[in-house]
Amino acid sequence: MADIGRLPAGVQDIYGAECAHLQRLREKLTRLFETGGYSPVRAATLEYYDTYARIGNAVPQERLFKLSDTDGKLLVLRPDVTLAISRIAATKLPAGGARLYYFADKWDLREAGGIWGREVYQAGVERLGEEGAFSDAQTIAFAIECLKAVGLEHFVVDIGHVGFFKGLLQECGLNDAEAEEVRSFVNGKDSFGAERALRKAGATAAAINAVLALPTLFGGAEVLERAEEVSHTPSSRLALAHLKEIYVLLADMGYAEYLRFDLGAVKSLSYYSGVIFSGLTEKLGAPVLSGGRYDRLADDFGKNIPAVGFALGLKRILTALGRQGFLAVPQGVEITIVCERGAEGRAYREYKKLTDEGKRVCLCARYGEEGKKGAEGRVVYFAKEET
Amino acid sequence: MITFALPKGRLGEECAALLARAGVDVSALEEDTRRLVLESADKRYGFFLVKPADVPVYVEQGVADLGVAGKDTLLEEDRQLYELLDLKIGACSLCIAGYERGLNARPLVRVATKYVKTAKRVFAERGEEAEIIPLHGSIELAPVTGLSDVIFDVVQTGSTLRANGLAVLEEVFPVSARLVANKVSLKLKSQEILPLVGRLREALS
Repeated sequence: MADIGRLPAGVQDIYGAECAHLQRLREKLTRLFETGGYSPVRAATLEYYDTYARIGNAVPQERLFKLSDTDGKLLVLRPDVTLAISRIAATKLPAGGARLYYFADKWDLREAGGIWGREVYQAGVERLGEEGAFSDAQTIAFAIECLKAVGLEHFVVDIGHVGFFKGLLQECGLNDAEAEEVRSFVNGKDSFGAERALRKAGATAAAINAVLALPTLFGGAEVLERAEEVSHTPSSRLALAHLKEIYVLLADMGYAEYLRFDLGAVKSLSYYSGVIFSGLTEKLGAPVLSGGRYDRLADDFGKNIPAVGFALGLKRILTALGRQGFLAVPQGVEITIVCERGAEGRAYREYKKLTDEGKRVCLCARYGEEGKKGAEGRVVYFAKEET
Repeated sequence: MITFALPKGRLGEECAALLARAGVDVSALEEDTRRLVLESADKRYGFFLVKPADVPVYVEQGVADLGVAGKDTLLEEDRQLYELLDLKIGACSLCIAGYERGLNARPLVRVATKYVKTAKRVFAERGEEAEIIPLHGSIELAPVTGLSDVIFDVVQTGSTLRANGLAVLEEVFPVSARLVANKVSLKLKSQEILPLVGRLREALS
């Protein structure tokens, strides 16, 4: 009973100025998505547990919010929007691809606190049925435009490629569990741990040297040159050439100043198959944007749909804007209309006229002097007409 | 400005000495003060002094750019961080210790520890069923009093163990202090952080 009226950990009611700011973000992004040629999509909130059990370890079982259906089947609250959209594309959309955008929550059953929530509100786009460096570059360019549109000024997009790491590991002869251990060390830039794990697994000296270089391979575009020295397998060379092509395209589009590279970034969400990227901004310890290419994700639904996309964390963006001093006071009511008893009709017609003109207007429900108390904005008063 | 989350106590003092050798003005840390937030005179560095186990949280959440934490704490907290350097101070080992017979307890081993999550992982990897008993201090008392069969704890010299008739049964993980970085700070402040990491590496060699 003590929980009545309270919320469980990791979820939040959003109201007041924060909710108004969130709504403005939505409007700015919607405009950008629509003019950029993306169509809206709204995925179902509940799905069968089996859908996610099949997709392997993309979302670990312990992080799924589970419920049971009336027939006893296990359901989950949507744990990942990209997975849901991939399912929609594979099972419902006509072949030939689509460019989609969404505003949606995803649910993550984890220890909540600080930057980690359990109900994560995201905006994002997915470009389905597209391949190649030009598609990747366009997606990253659009990600930069999104971060600009929401009002962030100091940010970079950090780009990596999962194929580079996978390519270097090919020659090491590691099994899946060993490869995952090395991945988590490399992703944490822990050279000490990575070296220990590689030696234990009996990797060759050349392979160890290459993998150990990864944690230092981040920074500006010069990283792509430095990476040449260690990319000694055909697939790591292919990945590097692909990143260079993306860089040249984005530089030509005018985005060079926003770009950083990190060849040691190997995200744990295992569905990424090619380029990966994150949006980073000051005074927030976690990315505000995250995305990449996931060409094999629809395989589990029996379709081959190459795709690339990204998601923006809207609450994190608000936190960053607030800390950086870019959040303006939300606009309130401009005009309050107050009337006396008997003047309701005229007052309402004025209210309708002003709102049709696009003004933000409040028609007070209290009469006369009582209504003027605490009125917001300019007050327009309607007295009862003398007869 | 680069902000550090440093552990209070002896490890923090050793960190300060190491940072000084790498050219960081740590005089603010040497003053006898009760202030929790400190700044170097040239305003290039800020310092928070926090409980050692809290360092990973401050760094993960981006409140501090860099931090120093023992590998034992990092394993237990399992936070999203970059681990940049082994500072080679505060060296010890995470060990399973107890009486010789302790590990043969059946049907399941009772393990007293303050590293609950790490102990669960370690015993799961060993393929043994273990009952974890969380404690906050004086872990050695648990097998002596029969509360547990073994303990899982950091061991530095082993003198407390020996004085109570206990022994290290297995060294599981070597532990030392690590320099950790927030994942965003390392990228956005790399021009300040990377030279500092280079100087620390030199100071260590």
